[in-house]
Amino acid sequence: MSGGTTPNRYRAEAARTLAERPSVRSAVTSATDHSNANRGRAYAEIDSERWRDWARDMKAHLLTHLDRYLEEAEASLVGNGMRVHWAGTAAEALTALRGIVREHDVRRAIKGKSMLTEELGVNAHLEGLGVHVREADLGEYIVQLLGEPPTHIVGPAIHKSLADCQRLFHERFGTALDADPDTLASAARAVLREEFLSADLGISGANFLAVDTGTIALIENEGNIRLSTSLPRVHVAFVGIEKLVPRLEDVAGFVQLTTRGSTGQPIGNYVSLIQGPRRPDEIDGPDEVHVIFVDNGRTRLLADDVSWEALRCVRCGACQNICPVYRQTGGHAYGWTYGGPIGAILAPALLGLEESMPLPFASTLCGACADVCPVRIPIPEILLHWRERAVEAGLTATSEAVGLAVFTKAAEHRALFAAGGALLRWLPWKAGGRALPVLGGWMQERSAPEPSAKSFQDLWKAGIE
Amino acid sequence: MSAPEASAPGLGARGPGPKEQILARVRDALQGRAPVEAPGPFGSWRPPGPPAASPPERFAAMLEAAGGEVVRVRDEAGARDWLAGFAVDFTAAAVGFTVPTALRPALPQAAPDVAPLGVSIARGAIAETGSLLLDARDGRRAQLLPPTHVVLVRAPDVYATFRDAMLAVRDDLPSAIGLHSGPSKSADIGHIMVKGVHGPGRLIAVVIGQEAASGA
Repeated sequence: MSGGTTPNRYRAEAARTLAERPSVRSAVTSATDHSNANRGRAYAEIDSERWRDWARDMKAHLLTHLDRYLEEAEASLVGNGMRVHWAGTAAEALTALRGIVREHDVRRAIKGKSMLTEELGVNAHLEGLGVHVREADLGEYIVQLLGEPPTHIVGPAIHKSLADCQRLFHERFGTALDADPDTLASAARAVLREEFLSADLGISGANFLAVDTGTIALIENEGNIRLSTSLPRVHVAFVGIEKLVPRLEDVAGFVQLTTRGSTGQPIGNYVSLIQGPRRPDEIDGPDEVHVIFVDNGRTRLLADDVSWEALRCVRCGACQNICPVYRQTGGHAYGWTYGGPIGAILAPALLGLEESMPLPFASTLCGACADVCPVRIPIPEILLHWRERAVEAGLTATSEAVGLAVFTKAAEHRALFAAGGALLRWLPWKAGGRALPVLGGWMQERSAPEPSAKSFQDLWKAGIE
Repeated sequence: MSAPEASAPGLGARGPGPKEQILARVRDALQGRAPVEAPGPFGSWRPPGPPAASPPERFAAMLEAAGGEVVRVRDEAGARDWLAGFAVDFTAAAVGFTVPTALRPALPQAAPDVAPLGVSIARGAIAETGSLLLDARDGRRAQLLPPTHVVLVRAPDVYATFRDAMLAVRDDLPSAIGLHSGPSKSADIGHIMVKGVHGPGRLIAVVIGQEAASGA
């Protein structure tokens, strides 16, 4: 799930990524630049302020009536012939899945792109049950072959260059080392087509769930979700309890806003609207459709008067694309499923405040994420909220508090400030800095330019421009 | 509405099940939170600009921008002529179950997983997004497995907006509707766009008739 690391290791992992794998930074920056330009164009074509107000208000309405809508959704889904399960935790969600696997003697599963199933650890669980499971989204398939988690909500493999993919496909499928992307995609298509046709179970998430018609709505570009939900005899959809929208026609607004915010497309090339198992007048489609409603910490978010607004998230990835911090490393350094700004505000509720440290601090609070968010989540405010909670809980480093106290004292006394500056300039900076108390810890994960030989005041007196 | 099945039992010997626990936590969380009223309907709001083209024209422009192809024919006879010419390059086709006899290409039928061509008829289309509405009753496999997909749609069935289309189909929903708005594509390999990843790499919409859609 988290690629062997945890949020607590964020600073070390981010530093390691930058120092040891510089290609990750260039790949992620290039991919997110592209998405940012496309989103800008896509927002300019619409009255994006009004669309985003509408989406914010509709999600806020839904969330403040969530108990009623969840019960109505269950009734609609069951009325459509689906089976509904409720999971308070990841373990309960996996238990429900295990029941379905056993009931249908599932040996092979194919999974359409879904972040919730990453959050829950579905693949590892299925493998533990002896089920062969394959990711069908091309990016997810690439990271599955590499044994890595996705690095981005929408683009799981954006940290991989063409050369990385050429090497991987050469080793796995014997394609030429200089094969073009079309050849590589054909190789993956051939392998995954067999997986689709032989799978007993198809797994998906849900972008939205229309309460009135009991419709699961899913957005994609490849066809991995359409095939995963159409070919196998059983379909299981994992649905976060915050994914509901009141009416089918509301899906129209949310789907378009999500893709405009995400990739800048007016719509994904495939949108699935699923109302249940195959009907008597239909020739194909699954015999059974299960919906597993998942809480897994979402009600903890809902209970928090500030951070509950994060539950409006539609998982478009716009905040990751625009974040100057995320763009340096991609998502792996964050140590869990959701990297970047949205992950930093979800983690304290979904994982626990202590477990998510220092993610709420892994931001410059520049506010770019809130500017682009299609559902207007006030991400910087929520980051500050979690920072306050962390300080109250004593989860921030004492060295930081001591350092700030020392600086405050020095800043209030001119002679002390000048002496401190002189001391810092005198220290053997590059090598020695890492051996110092407080400063040494800071220096392990950062690089800094060498200080000027003279203080600013001295330079000023000497007449700098 | 029938009673929910397969959810955890209610207050049984082991206390409340996951459903009751989740709903109780939701209700606790919402204590003291001011309820927010639902906003009005989604209006596809746009900045001021030139008047929108007719729904079939706008549909064609949007689908083409997403990499799809669009053919306009005057009537069913025109569609038959176009299909006859197009079919020459194919050896067999998987044809949707609700495609009228008059519009079926003169090709041997093949199973969708081996057919080089799929032919479907759409329930309708959406001008706003360039989407074809494909109904599961026409057969899902023929919509997804062949590398080339021809979709017939009648011009009066092209709705102006996504929302209009949802309002039109909501009282007669099959197990699944697929909105297809371009060829299957992916940029997951080195950020370079490729077509035909899992679904058809070529999508051709044949728009039959000239009349504008509902509301025009």
